[in-house]
Amino acid sequence: MFKDLDPLLHSQLRLAVMSILISTEEADFVFIREKTGSTAGNLSVQIDKLREAGYISVVKSFRGKMPRTTCRITPAGISAFEKYVDALGGYLRPK
Amino acid sequence: MENQLSEKESLELIGQMINTAKNNLQKGTGKIILLWGYIAAGISFFTWLLYEFLPKDIRYDAFFLWFLMAAGYPFHYMLVKRIEREKLVKTYIEGLMNRVWIGFTISILVIVLGMLIDTLLVLKFSGSVARPPNVPVRMFEFIHYFHWLLLTPFILCLYGFALFVSGKAYDFKPLSIGGLFCFTASFFLLFSLHKTGVYGLQMFTLFISAVAGFVIPGHMLNWKEHKDV
Repeated sequence: MFKDLDPLLHSQLRLAVMSILISTEEADFVFIREKTGSTAGNLSVQIDKLREAGYISVVKSFRGKMPRTTCRITPAGISAFEKYVDALGGYLRPK
Repeated sequence: MENQLSEKESLELIGQMINTAKNNLQKGTGKIILLWGYIAAGISFFTWLLYEFLPKDIRYDAFFLWFLMAAGYPFHYMLVKRIEREKLVKTYIEGLMNRVWIGFTISILVIVLGMLIDTLLVLKFSGSVARPPNVPVRMFEFIHYFHWLLLTPFILCLYGFALFVSGKAYDFKPLSIGGLFCFTASFFLLFSLHKTGVYGLQMFTLFISAVAGFVIPGHMLNWKEHKDV
């Protein structure tokens, strides 16, 4: 079973969000939505969960008159992601 | 969406998302490449024309056209501002590539300004070449002959470096091919230093290289952007 895998990261959309943010300095909500193919509502909920866990930081601002949400991975998020990938490797390594 | 994943699916998803984001080219990058491509191509073409057709005693004045490059900076600034306003993601590769192009610009400025200041000091603004007494005549002529002659091959080599690295980083082949073209052109010019009318040949080669390295990849990138939208 997946007892060593962080349950917060072991969900399709949250893992996709973290994978995008680990490979970028920062990403806009719209970019993440386009790349993950998710709905705005669902993405918003999952981003909130990651933010509450301290894995990502979210900055809300304005681009002209349009609201803008920018996400960035935190050091705690990087560490959690590395641990997750490491644990994942443990499952796939031949015994 | 709370879909649970298998270990294999998780790894695949991570790889897929990282690949989709890491070398994302900003919308509008093609326009910046085109701006500098057309400026460099236009100036090198007109410098070549003037050099070939002006009377011999004033033909070298054609090279002052290169000061027009500075006119590109306000447009460059406007395009960058627009990209910054519209961009949805900031990648590590993008940050690195920006630094490569800043380094490229500084390298060109250092080489050109250094040579220009040296030449002006040597000429002492009087038009007569003053040779320091401790420098042999042949050495002095050699330095000041090759000095400017090497400028275009050096700059083409720097073009090649910046284009090749950008093309590889963004995984956009036309830029890498443009870079390889500039390397080849630089190599060709280094072998042509002894030819008569070499400055004309250099300007014409630079014109072709600007088209191959900037204009064609810039249009292809623009076309790709329109297609992807």
